[in-house]
Amino acid sequence: MPLSGLEIYKLLPKTNCKECGFPTCLAFAMKLAAKQAELSACPYVSEEAKQALAAAAAPPIRLVTLGTERSFSVGNETVLFRHEKTFYHEPGLALRVKDTDPALEEKVALVDGFSVERVGMNLVMNALAIENASGDAGTFAGAVAKARAKTKLPFILMSDSPDAMKAALEKEGGMKPLVYAASDGNVEAMAALAKAHGASLAVKAETLDGLAALTEKATAAGVEDLVLDPMPRHLAGALAAFTQLRRLALKKNFRPLGYPIIAFAGNGANSPEEETIAAAQAICKYAGIIVLDHFDAADVYALMTLRQNIFTDPQKPIQVSPGLYEINSPKPGDPLMVTTNFSLTYFSVAGEVEGAGKPAWLLVTDSEGMSVLTAWAAGKFDAEVIAKAVKNFQVESKINHHKIIIPGFVATISGDLEEELPGWEVLVGPREAVDIPAYLKLWQ
Amino acid sequence: MPVIRLLPAEGNPTEVTASPGTLLSEAIAQAGIALHLPCGGQGRCGRCKVQVQKGTVRRRSVIRLSEKELEEGWALACQTLVQDEDLVVAIPPQADKLSRRIPSEPRKVPRVELPISCDWRSDPPLRRVYLDITPPSLSDNTSDFERVVRHLQPYLEEGGQVGISLPMLRRLGKILRDADWQVTATLEYYDWTTRRQGRRPRLIDLVPGRRTHELYGVAIDIGTTSNVVYLVDLLTGEVVDSAVEYNAQIACGEDVISRIIYARRPGGLEHLQKLVVGTLNGLIEQVAARNGIQPTDIQRATVAGNTTMIHLFLAIPPEPIRLEPYIPIINHPQPVLAAELGLNINPDAKVDCLPGVGSYVGADITAGVLATGMHRQEELTLFIDVGTNGEMVLGNSDWLITCACSAGPAFEGAGVQSGMRATEGAIEEVWIDPHTGEPTYNTIGDVPAKGLCGSGIISLLAELFITGLLTKGGRFENRVGTPRIRQGEHGMEYVVVWKEQTADGAADIVLTEVDVQNLLRAKAAIFAGFSTLTRSVGIQIGDVQRVLIGGAFGKYLNIEKAIQIGLLPDMPHDRFRFLGNTSVQGAYQALLCPDLRDEVAEIASKMTYLELSADNTFTEEFMSAMFLPHTQLELFPSVAALLTPQP
Amino acid sequence: MPTTVEIPKEKWTGKVREVTLGATPSNGGTRGREVVVGGEATLPFLHFEGAIPHPPVVAVEILDRYPDDWAAPLKEVWGDVMKDPAAWARKAEELGAELIMLKLTLNESGAADGARAADVVKAVLGATTLPLIVRGPGQAEADNAMLVPVCEKAAGERIAVGLCEDKNYRTIVAAAMANNHLVIASTPIDVNLAKQLNILISDMRMPMERILMDPTTGALGYGIEYTYSVMERLRLAALSGDSMTQQPMICFVGEESWRQKESRVGQGVPAEWGDWHHRGVIWETVTAVALLEAGADIVTVRHPKTLELVQSTIQKLMAS
Repeated sequence: MPLSGLEIYKLLPKTNCKECGFPTCLAFAMKLAAKQAELSACPYVSEEAKQALAAAAAPPIRLVTLGTERSFSVGNETVLFRHEKTFYHEPGLALRVKDTDPALEEKVALVDGFSVERVGMNLVMNALAIENASGDAGTFAGAVAKARAKTKLPFILMSDSPDAMKAALEKEGGMKPLVYAASDGNVEAMAALAKAHGASLAVKAETLDGLAALTEKATAAGVEDLVLDPMPRHLAGALAAFTQLRRLALKKNFRPLGYPIIAFAGNGANSPEEETIAAAQAICKYAGIIVLDHFDAADVYALMTLRQNIFTDPQKPIQVSPGLYEINSPKPGDPLMVTTNFSLTYFSVAGEVEGAGKPAWLLVTDSEGMSVLTAWAAGKFDAEVIAKAVKNFQVESKINHHKIIIPGFVATISGDLEEELPGWEVLVGPREAVDIPAYLKLWQ
Repeated sequence: MPVIRLLPAEGNPTEVTASPGTLLSEAIAQAGIALHLPCGGQGRCGRCKVQVQKGTVRRRSVIRLSEKELEEGWALACQTLVQDEDLVVAIPPQADKLSRRIPSEPRKVPRVELPISCDWRSDPPLRRVYLDITPPSLSDNTSDFERVVRHLQPYLEEGGQVGISLPMLRRLGKILRDADWQVTATLEYYDWTTRRQGRRPRLIDLVPGRRTHELYGVAIDIGTTSNVVYLVDLLTGEVVDSAVEYNAQIACGEDVISRIIYARRPGGLEHLQKLVVGTLNGLIEQVAARNGIQPTDIQRATVAGNTTMIHLFLAIPPEPIRLEPYIPIINHPQPVLAAELGLNINPDAKVDCLPGVGSYVGADITAGVLATGMHRQEELTLFIDVGTNGEMVLGNSDWLITCACSAGPAFEGAGVQSGMRATEGAIEEVWIDPHTGEPTYNTIGDVPAKGLCGSGIISLLAELFITGLLTKGGRFENRVGTPRIRQGEHGMEYVVVWKEQTADGAADIVLTEVDVQNLLRAKAAIFAGFSTLTRSVGIQIGDVQRVLIGGAFGKYLNIEKAIQIGLLPDMPHDRFRFLGNTSVQGAYQALLCPDLRDEVAEIASKMTYLELSADNTFTEEFMSAMFLPHTQLELFPSVAALLTPQP
Repeated sequence: MPTTVEIPKEKWTGKVREVTLGATPSNGGTRGREVVVGGEATLPFLHFEGAIPHPPVVAVEILDRYPDDWAAPLKEVWGDVMKDPAAWARKAEELGAELIMLKLTLNESGAADGARAADVVKAVLGATTLPLIVRGPGQAEADNAMLVPVCEKAAGERIAVGLCEDKNYRTIVAAAMANNHLVIASTPIDVNLAKQLNILISDMRMPMERILMDPTTGALGYGIEYTYSVMERLRLAALSGDSMTQQPMICFVGEESWRQKESRVGQGVPAEWGDWHHRGVIWETVTAVALLEAGADIVTVRHPKTLELVQSTIQKLMAS
């Protein structure tokens, strides 16, 4: 169980020597509790304390990394709900291709090269799952070799046959693949192969008991990087099984099931849309790797967007994107107001303008999610920031006047702003959003 | 260039020329007329109103001006630009705005308890010694200074030396001869670099005759709003006298941010430094005169104050304090000579500014903790100091954690339409009849009402809420059809006193919905501070065994009402204690006793500062507290019990 | 060495209130059926842990006028029925909608025509047997001017009206109370504000069984994560026994999703975005599914294909 800041503090020397880089032992303890510091930073911590803290600090879900050049890591999650802290590691998205698929190379190239930009991030696929559908070791190894020639993406090698797996691993190129999967009958052989090739190992079983038994055998055989497949039969089953695994790891600290989960979105889906829906659920609810059976740009883009959204750090203040917002379809002659990008500030201003039924332009600056007064006090909503926003969002191309209404709370910056925006007239609006409708009635 | 003719309320008309685009407030300042800008010229307070009688100006903001006033030519000087026309501008009397007198309570000499551990008598940092010096002669031609040192030998270690400043040395010969070689010397043993009694004392004062029974110091609290001086007899350890006055910097801004911004102006920092030193000198002269001593008889000053105030007192540019990552220039300044600051005490005396923790938790809080003694006790204590900023400390002998939140000046009566300070005529308590909506109230001094002070505002808010005239969301609901709830210029409002019954008969005394929202924000910030602080260390507010309330605010606060609006946590009333000005009490203890001075430094280094702006929990807790009494009504069982359904 | 893993279950102390939309003739209305939402005693679809007596339902959004500003794929798929709100509602019912969500708008001259609004509501009620949700244009004065006559004209039908917001709820709540309707309490993505508005509405003596809450929907790519977490938090609070958060949640998915560039724009967008029409449906579907996973009890959608996909998903998630 994670320790609270005060509990950790009791284990520290309490000398406030500052050598860890934090001003007090309590501050350091709170950072340790938040996992934003390393215990090794304290030169004076006792052996006893080290042990107690290490036990509490061990990640309840193991971090597993697939791949080398285009690696990705999953696991190490600490919460059931993202608002409690954050979800740290985005699930890897993989496409499954059969070793018998004549279009294998095209599909590999498509997955390898697919990239779409969203809010400054390049969203990509993370892995390729190659399935030994032929049942033949040679075909499987051949397909793996062909795929490896086209991509550096990590592979998920899917076969129940240790022989086929061995053949494929030899062609895989040593890029830390995932061996899928060890089950009751082959766990020793699969574990030995994974160990020999530095691969991670997936274990599959239909019950939690079965999974736990397998992970214990695999770890006994020296394989630590494990991935779980609870083999759910339908959507509700997947939600239940994945939730139970996550709870066991986090709330019961149950080590045998403290590993990332792999989801096969296509299993049980009757259409590509149903597969996309299953993948969307897996993103929200606890999958570490999601394998798709079909690749459609619109579907993948939607899933990648959901993944990006759900894995955004919720501890940051809720912000709206900076920009020029249109309210009630404004015309070039309508008023221009400016405010910060703290969501509640934006909502109250936009709400009042919308409610007043007056068309207006609302310029939202990048003020790191702070409210007007806080941002102003911290220098994040000054004349320079506003002038920059006016330029960046090409306000002058959308309106035909040079008047800008600033919040009444920052009346003091009007002079500076007139200097930053030569030729503009700065008007001081009301301090409270509720007074905006009355103010707008007087405009012009 | 346009010529501006200024018509001050007192004194002769003056003319000044100003280029177009100049702020009216700047032009008035150029003419040498004092115009007070309580909000620091930010166009927030509306107090710099002037009347433009001729000519046109451009008003950037018309906040706090009614339509009628606009027609009459009124404008906010700090928000109004000179155009290309000549102007005639009338400046209303500023005097009433200056005379914010602190209520003249019968002057009591405060008694401050010292902790038992403090044994300041055994090894005092300052000593007064009488010297009957053998005059020099042709056979004994030792120099004056060496002669003094020779006579000081009994007070020094063997072969000990004495330090002396150049200005002191320059006066030495004359003092000795004028006094006919019978003098009283003041020696300072305390070594400020090691913070221990040193081997080489400093000779800081020499006066004629035997005056060993007199040795004085001052403990000073520089508040953003008021400054306090205690005159301390360093021989008896008693506080001899005290005096309090508003910080003259208020004219340049009411809160620390406004002052920091003011300090950016050319000459602004120096001006602020002079203002606060001026206030302090006034107080020092006052207590000195009352006790028959000279200010120069004061041999030591210990100063507490928030970090910005300390920076301004030392004229250190405070700008980085307000900007992320909110870092002060210094937390623990070295002592400086009084002469360097212009503080009117012995110029050779050291002025010791106590150490703070960070930008928003300063020496006022570390000194406050010292005064509360919470850092020596096992009981889990919450200490709060509510002023313009709400600072709070949670902890015990084992650990201390602190945070600061901006409450704004609402509880001090500022930023509220009919708000005023707690002076004569301020409404300090209100009751409302739940059936008629009619109020009954008390004013300070039992005179006709002038406005609402902080305690009156809290009382009124609680009454409106408890009687159901205000919803939990802070909106008026005229359940009883009283004419006192009406549509005002800034939305709905409640009339506490009709203008006919007010002191000046000029305007109704009201509380508006905008005021209510301001107050909700202020109380939510403070309560969210408690919640965040307790949560950060994983305890419940209910685990707190004692709540100590410091600051001038504490004296007037009605606990019951403060709980009803959700400002203070709902706890048995006997867990709360009011301590008054803990900052100056701590400064006094540190002045008297070197061990306690060391304790302040220890407190500062031990205290963990929680930066709320880096913390999402604070925003959460704030939103949760933006409700009457709180979104989690179960946190306020005593209030929940009062809220029986209205018929 | 067999291991026995105990299934981890939470012991929740609270559950979501049941809210009934629509009234059949025996309950004073004219609806063909009543729709009950809420009642969950566990997190979404965790049947192993607690009862989920009523599945979430899907409402189809229609407008009181032809929606010129809607995206082309929507206009293509619905065709001419969009010209008549009654016909549109009837078509939605045929396609399997469980509720109709009618959004009222201002007339051409920007005025709020309360009488016309009431007539449209009456016509839609006549054309469908489904329970109805009615929203105003979203401006305080217009909402009050239109929703009050709507509530009166539809008296007894137990429609859900909204949106009630912090600044404007009293008139709508009073009208809904007087005419036996439900209200939708809407707050901007904040747990505390949501709870506060429920308290304020409840303080007006509105029974809690007649309040739905709208946490404000953020579409996929446009703030869905904020809505998602606020909904999870509200639901966790409800299950933990916080009475003032136990209202069923409604999400206006179609409106938000089809407002975004991905759904609205077909030309000049990156090829990696895929087919426009399909993208619009998937965007709306993924938004709806993610919010169902967070606790939505009612989702409103615009596209018939989304209706079908979301309903079949709910069906699968309800199969334990």
